[in-house]
Amino acid sequence: MVTLFSVSNTLSAALLGALAHILPTPLNGWATSSGVVTGLAALIFGAILLAASMLNTILLIWWERKLLGRFMDRRGAMHVGYAGLLQNFADGLKLFRKDTVRPGQADPLGFWLSPTAYMVTSLLIFGVLPISTGWNGGSLPLTLLLALVIFSFAPLFIFLGAWASNNKYSLIGGMRSAAQMIAYEVPILLAVVAVVIVAGSFDLTTIVQEQRDYWFAVPLFLALIVFLTGMLAEMERIPFDLPEAEAELVEGWNTEYGGMLFAFFMLADYLRALVGSILVVLLFLGGWTLPSYVPSVLTSFPLAGIVWFMVKTYIVFGIFVWIRASLPRIRTDQLLKLGWMRMVPLALLSIVLATLVVKAGCPPVLHCVPPMGG
Amino acid sequence: MAGTAERPPAPPAVAEEKPFLWVARPLATAAKQFVKSLWRPSTVVYPFERLEDPKFRGQVGVASGKPIGVGEIWDNYRGVHALNINTCISCNLCAFSCPDVCIEMVNVPGGDPRHPKKCPQIDYGKCSFCGFCSDACPEGCLTMTTRYELSVHKREEMVYSPARMFEIFKSKLPMNPIRLERPKNEDQILLDPPICIGCNACARDCPTQCITMLDIPKPTPKPGEKMAKRIWKEPVINDSDCVRCGTCIAVCPKDCLFWGTRQ
Repeated sequence: MVTLFSVSNTLSAALLGALAHILPTPLNGWATSSGVVTGLAALIFGAILLAASMLNTILLIWWERKLLGRFMDRRGAMHVGYAGLLQNFADGLKLFRKDTVRPGQADPLGFWLSPTAYMVTSLLIFGVLPISTGWNGGSLPLTLLLALVIFSFAPLFIFLGAWASNNKYSLIGGMRSAAQMIAYEVPILLAVVAVVIVAGSFDLTTIVQEQRDYWFAVPLFLALIVFLTGMLAEMERIPFDLPEAEAELVEGWNTEYGGMLFAFFMLADYLRALVGSILVVLLFLGGWTLPSYVPSVLTSFPLAGIVWFMVKTYIVFGIFVWIRASLPRIRTDQLLKLGWMRMVPLALLSIVLATLVVKAGCPPVLHCVPPMGG
Repeated sequence: MAGTAERPPAPPAVAEEKPFLWVARPLATAAKQFVKSLWRPSTVVYPFERLEDPKFRGQVGVASGKPIGVGEIWDNYRGVHALNINTCISCNLCAFSCPDVCIEMVNVPGGDPRHPKKCPQIDYGKCSFCGFCSDACPEGCLTMTTRYELSVHKREEMVYSPARMFEIFKSKLPMNPIRLERPKNEDQILLDPPICIGCNACARDCPTQCITMLDIPKPTPKPGEKMAKRIWKEPVINDSDCVRCGTCIAVCPKDCLFWGTRQ
């Protein structure tokens, strides 16, 4: 079984073995010792995760631009690379070349720290998300909880950056962001509780394996709606983009950020969107599994699990884009009313449904094949 | 009085929709649009596709006004000029008629060395695309085409040489077939015979070769008088061939040719 750990271990051992040929005697023994190999393997593991998540984030931006274009009867990016695939890389390169300007009255520490911390906490989540069987950072018993905890760090750093910018628009945006994210943590966690009740575990891999009889999207449809809405609000996407309402607050909490710091915020936003889509797939859509009546040609090629997982993720993100293309931005009072007076009761109702599902038992309908490729 | 003015009728009250429809209806609209533009969005990818391409004909409509202009280019569109160098007679009428003074007559190969052939060179930085030049052209060799792409990197590239406009002519673009009916010029070129010295300049420079120098009788000098120094010839202008370009008037060294009506 090929896993991400075994891949990085093999790479690390090969690299250090080659290095040991060059090094003098006392050093080559040290280079091939198990501790060094494992240490380098962890670094390679992190590098692969970083590269994969960043690549997917940039592809996600492309996917959103293309989809949004079709929703608006136009084409998205189409000139750089095949169908505009390289457009976002070009944009990133342009931002990379730009100067980053700190306003004179801004607080230096908070100003520099906030984009970095926002980015890092968003990247950290990928360490615990399983992509396919064995393709995760480690099977802790509480990965779902850990992911959600790291996910909810973000308002802190957004507010830090907004305050440090010393700009009224940034500050208002940061306030709104904090209020919104805290308001929508509650329904999200309640919806997750419904899933956990049915799955009986906080481990994401176990949750996916528990969906072999039926995907949780069917019995826990209410929880799915609550989770999608909450994720939209957490990601600050339209229609919940109050923190960066362009018409009122110039660019919201990242008004004062330019160049690569802006790119950090932008990337972290899409990283969070990716995490949100991945969580929806893991919790409700059966992760990397497919029903057994799907022809085996589609499920037996190498890395099929990862491929189907990514397909599902991009489809879920497509739903987010669909909502963005359709709905206008809502008011603050509507946002909070929706969060506390609609989503929380719905989430509580879905918990009741979850207990009923556990109690009544649901007949197996899908017969998912969990270990599908590696 | 302001108070007595009638109020406009109140707009019909919008029926309150259910909150569910606030979300569902826009989603349905967007999905419909997505399906519609999945195969081909309305965007015309301009540098690679053009609206005048026949496949767009009739697809895009204009909301008001004439139903032409989108999806096709008018046949009498006034775009870049096409010049047929072979039929140009170097009459200079285009340059005369240009209100922006953007036409300059430059030498082109093909003329005889003493009287080089001249064709118009147009500076599109100044041109206002009024079309007077192509209306004035007596031979129909300077016409306007439907080409409209004129962006360049340097100002010098805006100046189209005759050779370049000949290339456009050879590319056989749709040309403006509508020519204003040229008003019959009642004026003719008249000669003041006593001043004429018979120098042949007008006949030499006439673009249509419609001036012939005819011998005139040599007067017998009176005793004690010197014979006038001149060539005993006078220009005779063939009115049916004359394009009334005025070149002969311009080149006459003695100003003995002028516009007028023959009695």
